[in-house]
Amino acid sequence: MKRFLETGNFAITEGAILAGCRFFAGYPITPATELAEAMSLRLPQVGGIYLQAEDECAAMHMCVGAALGGMKAMTATSGPGFILYADPYGWALGCETPMVVLNSGRVGPVSGITGAPGQGEFYLMRYPTQGGNFETICLAPNTAQECMAMTVEAFYLSERFRMPVSVLADQLITDGFEDISVPENEDEMKEMGFRTWPREICRGPEFYPASDALDVPPVVLGHNTGALCSDWTPTEEGYDIEEVEAHHKHAYRLIYKVRNNRDLFSHHYEKKYMGDDPDLVVVSYGSPSRVVNTAVEKARSQGLKVGSLRLINIWPFPDEHFDRQCKYLCVELNWDGQLVREVQRAAPKGSGVHFMGTCGDLPTTPDLIETFEKLLKNEPIRRKGWVLEEW
Amino acid sequence: MKERIEIVASGFGGQGVVRLGQIIGETGVRQGLHVTMLKSHGTEMRGGYVRSQVVLSEEIIDSPMCESPDYFIALSSAAYERFKDTVPEGGLILYDPAFVEKIDEALPCRQERFPAKELSVEHFENPLFANSLVLGRVARLVDVLDKEEMLESLLEVIPKFHDRNREAFRLGYEYGG
Repeated sequence: MKRFLETGNFAITEGAILAGCRFFAGYPITPATELAEAMSLRLPQVGGIYLQAEDECAAMHMCVGAALGGMKAMTATSGPGFILYADPYGWALGCETPMVVLNSGRVGPVSGITGAPGQGEFYLMRYPTQGGNFETICLAPNTAQECMAMTVEAFYLSERFRMPVSVLADQLITDGFEDISVPENEDEMKEMGFRTWPREICRGPEFYPASDALDVPPVVLGHNTGALCSDWTPTEEGYDIEEVEAHHKHAYRLIYKVRNNRDLFSHHYEKKYMGDDPDLVVVSYGSPSRVVNTAVEKARSQGLKVGSLRLINIWPFPDEHFDRQCKYLCVELNWDGQLVREVQRAAPKGSGVHFMGTCGDLPTTPDLIETFEKLLKNEPIRRKGWVLEEW
Repeated sequence: MKERIEIVASGFGGQGVVRLGQIIGETGVRQGLHVTMLKSHGTEMRGGYVRSQVVLSEEIIDSPMCESPDYFIALSSAAYERFKDTVPEGGLILYDPAFVEKIDEALPCRQERFPAKELSVEHFENPLFANSLVLGRVARLVDVLDKEEMLESLLEVIPKFHDRNREAFRLGYEYGG
């Protein structure tokens, strides 16, 4: 195992290569520029292809094309680029094309602030394209090391579910340097819990089965299988059809292959101090969760009965963690509150679900502990002069 | 060593603030420590605000934020003003008087004047080696950092001008006797 001081961008690149990714198309954007740079260096070294596209929309289309050609492919961007994926993302979901998409969040909306972290795309990761009638899988690591692990995992899930899988990081994680360990062989990969799945080829005659089955090989063109692939509703044999019955079957698959097989990835979460039914559960994902963990540990040493729930698998939303009626505090890198809406929906009636936002900078430990104390004493919480409403 | 050591460097774009943090972090990795190094910056390549936050620990690091830095390397007046109050009693501010002219004497922490830019111009007729001087000084001041590992890290991260970087590092380390 090799140990480096490197960025999350580097860790993701190495993870992708370990998972078998041999095609990357992207358009550089802070804070994912170094990822494109690392891919442009590393992919040719392992016989892969790096393509700089004219924009993000073209980049993801190229990845869909590469995946349909039988390659494991990936693209990466930040929020302003992610919205340009909307068109090809729908294509990849509809055609059930495996690939991995990374979004490193910065401050938005639009170009916002480049070199600072934000979490404004929580819902965009759920609905990255129009039309509905699909589920999405999104993983949110909080360290460079976990970026590598979740990139490998995203490739694994994308093959087994036959769909694009996204990784949601943020500027602090992709741009920040950390000590990371890179496995050098398959034994070391297994030791680190990395799972991989080879690219297989669907031989038909059913190319789009109306079932929730896992491990249906993806459609790969050019292998004399007779497979077709377009952006229209397909019949099970893969022909275009604009017809409600066929669409219903296709939608069932796009939704229920994920909903009915969630146990394959629902173990991706972290709980700290959750064993004694804490009075307050602090919910977070991505980089803020690291300060939350520090703050919860300090709060515990001060006698506050607080626990930390960190979500790694954020979509489909893991409702099962919210079965207890208690107080919840969602800590997010945005001012409008996104994760909090989902926790409010998932938590039992009568739970107090609260929101603490910041953006561009992580919350501080003293601010977090002060908020925990206030919530436990049923006092109103404030942040930067805003009265934070009860959700 | 302490549970965690926090080192902040801040100045403006083009000064090598990120490289500075990276070399300190690389030293930590070489010494078998866990390391995080966050960089924050504006859009500009040069002239904008830049900050590196390094945390060194024997344990896995949760928060990578330097909320209470043990060491603060101030390379601009703006950076000094912005972060001086975060340094606790027992902490140390290392500042270059070429960039930080006005010092707040009321701070509870120790403050060391280190004329890196001036020394670089004096010895090398070029301000380019100021950061290697700073790194030498940091190697001297931060007990947990090993001098030789730090020098090796510097030479690895900055692949050019090895002789002058080595000499600048030595001058920084030995500054003030």
